[in-house]
Amino acid sequence: MNFDWTAEDLDFKSRVAALFDSESVTALEGLERAELPELKATTGMFLRRLSETGYLSLGMGPEAASETLRLMAGQEEVALFSGSLFLAVETTARLFGGLLKGFGEPEQVRDILEPLFRGEIVAAVAMSEPAGNEPGTSRTSAREDGDSFVVNGRKSFASNGPIADYIAVTGEVDGLLAVFLVEPRMEGVAVGTRLQTLGYNGVAVSSLDLTAVRVPRSRVLGPFRDAKPLEWLRQIDNLVLSVASVGLMHRTLAEARRHASGHVRDGKAVGKHQEVRFKLAEMLTLAQTAQLLAYRTAWLHATAADEAPTLIHCAKVFSAEASERVASLAMQIAAGDAYVSGNVVERGYRDAKYAAIAGTTSELARMSIAQDLLNLHRV
Amino acid sequence: MDFSFSDEQLMFREQVLKFARKEIAPRAQQHDLESRFDWESWKRLGEFGILGLHFPEEYGGSGADVVTTVLASEALGESGVDGGLTLSYGAHTFLCADTIFAHGTEEQRRKYIPPLATGAKVGCMGLTEPGAGSDVASLRTRAERKGDTWVLNGSKMFITNGGIADVALIYAKTDPAAGHAGISAFIVEKGTPGFTVSRNLIKMGVHSSPTSELVFEDCVIPAENLVGSEGNGFMMAMQTVEWDRSALLAPFIGAIAFLIERCTRYAQQREQFGRPIAYFQGVRHKLADLKIFLEAARSLVYRIAWCKDQGRPLNHLEAAVAKLFVGDWSLGPTNDAMIIMGGYGYCHEYDVERIFRDSRLAPIGGGTSDVQKVLISRLM
Ligand SMILES: Cc1cc2nc3c(=O)[nH]c(=O)nc-3n(C[C@H](O)[C@H](O)[C@H](O)COP(=O)(O)OP(=O)(O)OC[C@H]3O[C@@H](n4cnc5c(N)ncnc54)[C@H](O)[C@@H]3O)c2cc1C
Ligand SMILES: Cc1cc2nc3c(=O)[nH]c(=O)nc-3n(C[C@H](O)[C@H](O)[C@H](O)COP(=O)(O)OP(=O)(O)OC[C@H]3O[C@@H](n4cnc5c(N)ncnc54)[C@H](O)[C@@H]3O)c2cc1C
Repeated sequence: MNFDWTAEDLDFKSRVAALFDSESVTALEGLERAELPELKATTGMFLRRLSETGYLSLGMGPEAASETLRLMAGQEEVALFSGSLFLAVETTARLFGGLLKGFGEPEQVRDILEPLFRGEIVAAVAMSEPAGNEPGTSRTSAREDGDSFVVNGRKSFASNGPIADYIAVTGEVDGLLAVFLVEPRMEGVAVGTRLQTLGYNGVAVSSLDLTAVRVPRSRVLGPFRDAKPLEWLRQIDNLVLSVASVGLMHRTLAEARRHASGHVRDGKAVGKHQEVRFKLAEMLTLAQTAQLLAYRTAWLHATAADEAPTLIHCAKVFSAEASERVASLAMQIAAGDAYVSGNVVERGYRDAKYAAIAGTTSELARMSIAQDLLNLHRV
Repeated sequence: MDFSFSDEQLMFREQVLKFARKEIAPRAQQHDLESRFDWESWKRLGEFGILGLHFPEEYGGSGADVVTTVLASEALGESGVDGGLTLSYGAHTFLCADTIFAHGTEEQRRKYIPPLATGAKVGCMGLTEPGAGSDVASLRTRAERKGDTWVLNGSKMFITNGGIADVALIYAKTDPAAGHAGISAFIVEKGTPGFTVSRNLIKMGVHSSPTSELVFEDCVIPAENLVGSEGNGFMMAMQTVEWDRSALLAPFIGAIAFLIERCTRYAQQREQFGRPIAYFQGVRHKLADLKIFLEAARSLVYRIAWCKDQGRPLNHLEAAVAKLFVGDWSLGPTNDAMIIMGGYGYCHEYDVERIFRDSRLAPIGGGTSDVQKVLISRLM
């Protein structure tokens, strides 16, 4: 047992944190309002800077799970400064990159992964489909045709979609899972217009339509005999969302504290009142608890512990719901100022809902936790 | 970071779980219903080595580290031992005996620790008073030096084991003008003239743990019964917070693990509308919430234990966070467990109802949730 980061972890953490100087923070504020070209440029700039710390090549794919905790030391620094940047980076690196590294043939993916590690590309992963399909099946499907696969389908959401150089699209070949690496410039690929979303406005999200897209075999992962790549993607997505929630809590808490000590009403800083102080105490308690749970979950994942999948769901649900509560309390403390668009708390309040919806929804995560308990204590 | 336990720690936890499931837990319900201290279980806990686990062997203990001690406490909760017995154990071992061990003279250690470590004698700790709860520094029990003796006057409220204790560690003012710096700690033995138990309190939960009001009327004790130095009592009491936020919280966490197993099994056996109630998402949701709370709470408590093992000074912020979280956030899951069991969950016969009642103490005893928030907001 050891609750301290190692010296190497701390070194990595501080190198990542050092990227976020005041100039960066201003650039990241701008990200929330940026049009696509600027969004792509800013995201790309941070990807390149992060690559210099080794951030983009850590924890890639199931084989590199042992790096999960080290990675988290750095991830929480990015998540603290910008939730949007964090999600854009993680979608590119851990989800897209990890999928390629973990489930692709080395020669097949080398020409994508190398520039990805250097921070030169932005990528997306499109799994979700519009409602209506049978459980566990995908309507996106492909048939083999010579040296390629011809893919048809529709994906409802792809983060980074409008600025992506590559999109990993999940689908089926004869009922088996496969992943198609498509580029927006390919014939038949239609990236939808950017969706206007409630929060995380610094991430560009779109739908995706594929009409008879010819994907060369060298750009297809699988077909796989099982759904392991999808399960792995969900787990990593859920871990990423837990860290995003922890970052959001610390960010909104910091702003609420700043407000509480600096905002004077009737001659007294509002933070002198117990009504305000107790809210801050609750916020800190939730943030610290979620953070520690995330660390332990990362460690369980890193050590391939049997209970890791259950804990990933626990951490994700807890941190997502705690972040909604924390953002709401921050809003209550910073009150009118926080309600004005552009305020850190206002943004956090809008962002917070996402983690409960994205990845495995809180409902499905709870059902999965309960199923794990029923399996464990079977009568 | 490394969240693993050593093989020895895990093995011992397993042994405690097995022992307590077989020998202690089956007696819990009856003693709770009768609000009776379970002397037989106390003896067995002593024989098994639980009551003095962390004391060095030469004082009748086993020299266990704090993490092992916390795992043992958690295992008691998980086995289904009632919160009354684990509270009595906590107050005896950590609030009373450990304070004597940590601050007492060698003579005091030799005299008091071995019988406390084995359970041959029972200890209690008296800090709270009728007029001084959260604001402990305002306590009014007075200790005055008269020659080779101290004379105690005053009363103590809500004292766990008060009515059955052989050794009472009592905090009193030796210098009323000095605020906390005027508080000192004393050992008062059962039978000392002027020391009486004025009443035993009837409570919502932790029934098997006697809670009493103690009265001191010109109670004369020898000068050597002062523990630690004069005026150091408040600091000593605050040091027990490390145990309070680790070994005393651990049984609450263990009890949640117990509830999870109990409710998960029940949900598969109980049928309604032609299917086990585990089929219903509303029931599954509650099971999941129990598990989420358990996992969120665990590391907070282990962290305090691990830091103590490393010899680090207590991080008061982390300690308050652990206490607040376990205290306040356990209310929902223990309520959920009761509801999963339906009408049976509301009945005295079942341990789920008992755990619901017992766990209501977590946001009150050892510093209320509000007091934790006061601390957190001051320290953050
Ligand atoms: C901004 C944004 C970005 C996104 N980015 C991506 C991306 O990059 N890649 C990607 O693949 N996806 C992405 N998504 C999709 C996201 O992962 C899904 O929204 C999420 O998985 C939930 O799916 P859904 O919206 O279809 O909800 P549904 O699955 O239709 O669920 C609707 C509601 O019903 C509940 N529900 C459903 N089934 C059950 C059940 N069996 N039991 C109990 N309750 C149930 C759900 O929990 C939810 O509350 C994104 C979404 C958004 C909003
Ligand atoms: C079963 C049981 C066993 C116990 N065992 C022991 C024992 O062995 N030894 C011992 O010494 N004590 C023991 N106690 C006492 C326990 O520690 C106290 O009950 C506790 O510290 C609270 O004190 P109080 O009951 O006087 O409440 P009070 O301090 O009177 O508090 C009443 C209410 O006011 C709130 N409050 C108080 N101050 C503030 C503030 N500054 N800001 C906001 N809110 C505030 C509290 O949170 C609470 O809600 C035990 C209590 C119980 C119930």
